[in-house]
Amino acid sequence: MRLKLEFWVETAALIALIVLIVLPLLSLLWGSVAADEGPTLGYFAHVFSARIYTQALLNSLVLGGWTALLSVAIGVPLAWAVARTDIPAAPFVKLTATLAYLSPPFLLAIAYVNLFSPRAGVINTFLRHMIPGHAPTFNIFSMPGLVLVTVPHTFPFVYFLTASALSSLDAGYEESAQILGAGKLRTAASVTLPLVAPAILSGALIGFVDAIALFGSQAIVGLPARIFTLPTRIYALFNYPPEYGPASALSLVFVALTVGALSLQRAYLARRSYITLSGKGSRPRRVALGGWRWPLFAFCAVIFLVAVVLPYGSLLAVSLSKSWGLDFWKNLTLAHYHFVLFEYDVTRRAITNSLILAAAAASFCVFLGAAIAWIDVRTRLWGRRVLDFVSLVPLGLPGIVIAAALIQFWLKIPVALYGTLTILFLAYAARYVPLGVRAADTALRQIDPILEESARILGASWGRTVWEISLPLMRSGLFAGWILIFVPAIQELSASILLFSSNSITLAVAVYNLYENGYIEPVAALALVNVAIIVAALALARRLGGESRFEGLG
Amino acid sequence: MSQIEIVGLSKSYRGEGEGAAVDGLNLSVEAGEFVTLLGPSGCGKTTTLRLIAGYLVPDAGTITVAGRELSSPRRVVPPEERGMGMVFQNYAVWPHMTVFDNIAFGLKLRRLSKAQVRDRVAQVLELVNLSGLGNRYPSELSGGQQQRVALARSLVVEPAILLLDEPLSNLDAKLRERMRWELKQLQRRTGITFIYVTHDQAEALALSDRIAVVYAGRLQQYGTPREVYRRPANRIVADFMGSVNLVRGRVAERNGATGIVEASPLRLTLGLPEGVEVGEPVDLAIRPESIRLVLPGSDPDAIPGCIEEQSYLGNLCEYTVTVGAIRLRVQAGPDVDLAPGDETWVAVDAGACNLFPADDVTRL
Repeated sequence: MRLKLEFWVETAALIALIVLIVLPLLSLLWGSVAADEGPTLGYFAHVFSARIYTQALLNSLVLGGWTALLSVAIGVPLAWAVARTDIPAAPFVKLTATLAYLSPPFLLAIAYVNLFSPRAGVINTFLRHMIPGHAPTFNIFSMPGLVLVTVPHTFPFVYFLTASALSSLDAGYEESAQILGAGKLRTAASVTLPLVAPAILSGALIGFVDAIALFGSQAIVGLPARIFTLPTRIYALFNYPPEYGPASALSLVFVALTVGALSLQRAYLARRSYITLSGKGSRPRRVALGGWRWPLFAFCAVIFLVAVVLPYGSLLAVSLSKSWGLDFWKNLTLAHYHFVLFEYDVTRRAITNSLILAAAAASFCVFLGAAIAWIDVRTRLWGRRVLDFVSLVPLGLPGIVIAAALIQFWLKIPVALYGTLTILFLAYAARYVPLGVRAADTALRQIDPILEESARILGASWGRTVWEISLPLMRSGLFAGWILIFVPAIQELSASILLFSSNSITLAVAVYNLYENGYIEPVAALALVNVAIIVAALALARRLGGESRFEGLG
Repeated sequence: MSQIEIVGLSKSYRGEGEGAAVDGLNLSVEAGEFVTLLGPSGCGKTTTLRLIAGYLVPDAGTITVAGRELSSPRRVVPPEERGMGMVFQNYAVWPHMTVFDNIAFGLKLRRLSKAQVRDRVAQVLELVNLSGLGNRYPSELSGGQQQRVALARSLVVEPAILLLDEPLSNLDAKLRERMRWELKQLQRRTGITFIYVTHDQAEALALSDRIAVVYAGRLQQYGTPREVYRRPANRIVADFMGSVNLVRGRVAERNGATGIVEASPLRLTLGLPEGVEVGEPVDLAIRPESIRLVLPGSDPDAIPGCIEEQSYLGNLCEYTVTVGAIRLRVQAGPDVDLAPGDETWVAVDAGACNLFPADDVTRL
């Protein structure tokens, strides 16, 4: 009887994965070839020939490419500065990267629209005022604008990976080259760079994947400029009447692009192992910058200004003014916060919904992750590797694709889920399962199985052993995983935008809708409320311990 | 009827690479006995222990305890229903619980009242000399103390059988010796059957009622420490049980049960096993302590040799001596003081020697 519980837990995990990931993906596949007269490749042919789709694909590639390139241009110098030089205020650089990573991407887009929209943008207006005639204004509604609002979210990937590679690189490698007669530049080019190149490329590829999946900024900045990208084009295909065929085919093209980039990244990351292997007692060497420290510091400060100060400062200013554009100091008010938090039922509902969804998805994913990790690490079940692989598949699925798959699957099932919180929960759970599995896997691998075996031989059943030994020992790892899921889930937009209804509206969707309707002051207030929730969650996490786990979020 | 009967036990991992194989092992253990599974690492002794505990399913064979079949390839009673205890090499003390909670765990499973739990834990803490440390966390204890917590945790539920997997190997030499003595005392006092796994032959000799020498997944010999040390069943056992000089020789004569074995210049009269014929090559196993260094003329059987190396160990003095083409390790008293290059006479106690047919058994 006692072995039964283990069996049921494992079976439940398997069923959960099938329902969350496998079946929706299958219906997406089916949707991409299903026509009235039978299977067809017509949708794919259409997607690859019609200009609206090829242009979206091209735009996504351009956006991803530029973003990745700029992420390297920003992330690598910052990483080098922090890991290898005596730059003043290294913690401040770290903070910049962390804040930039944690900021909801749509928030950045909205803030930059406030600053740089062609007519009303504050900075543009200011420039026109200062330099009448041919003022050098900047139009945010453009591809450069789109790259500008995306890069702050992606350069931290390059920064974190490169910094960790650089600081685990033992000085011995470089000193050996120098003693053999290589100069500083030669050493950097022939030893340091090749050793950290996999980390840099890996960060750039993750940045690429992340950038092209962001619905919010691409809709807010791209659509007014009529720059359609893959997420916004797929979104448009679901407008009434929905075109499931092309939407599915385009989604799969999107998945192929993402998976391709991620496999490339995995290959690079595999090569990176020779750095981490020597991690024991590594002694990174620091360069005295001398006169160069201030230019480098200025570079860091500019990044801080662009990624943190400008967006947050402008949002804060907007959220506190009665009406944006009036004399700021004479019109300060907290009315917009009061409005979104207490008066307006849509935003109140959105906040509640998002809190429920993020907490539920994080809890569910962490426990499902624990069950899957158990099967992978502690059992010899046939096919456990497949299970592990399936649980990581959502890493290759952009949010909007998950939503597209779920819609098609649940429309075929006679259960009215569309527009409910449940379908949003399913989307979040599917999206963040890989994070739960990774956190649980790492935590479980750190527990010596003899700790569980000693409980068994004392008479504890499987359930009792897991409850009293394994889970308590995994607690801090699972908690870290919970936070790692909660933070992106509370700002989730890419999947929610296709799945919400007025009852199941989420925070990010509410921000987006308010923005679309031109309520710029409540939008700013609501976006900052969102950030406040994230900050509160992280502060709580630090309080409850294990803070070091939250530093290398990328 | 023995308490534990192991018949034809086999387990192989087939490339899963997580343990050494066991191959057709037979073993019976009496109630209250202290039995040691002894062998080098990778010999299958830990696998055997884990099979007895019920963590592994055997490929073949059965394990019967007190007349009840607990393990067979078809059915394995899970560990939690076996009523055994186990102590691990790495202690396996739960780091998230205090010493008290660690020890009380098994008692709570058995639904003892709070007062009973408190009393029993206090008793067992005293038994393992940890009184007053109940509120500590394992990280606040030394290795020896942690191992005693692990021991207490297993003993407090009064198992009929206690399995110990190299429990002392992570302790320093001095502590190990003390714990060894304490373990033996504990076993005597509680009357629990101990199955003890170790690769340390000195530990096995000191602790056990009987030693099962395991090599390459097979039982090589099962007997009392004296039997195993003095009359090893084969060359593997002889080699593993302490140091031994293995000398290739030839049967020169046979007179009934005894005979003469020549390993020039040695010529020893000793008992010959059955089936060993005249002219056959044999291996002589001579313990270093069975060889004496004597003065010329004091022993008629002594032969001349030459000191090659000397090392003084305090309680004794170890020499490497060459006699003819043979090099022998010899243990002499601490007062014998010879230098490399000195001439000496060597006398071998033939009665303490063992003899094995020469074959190509892999050396340890």
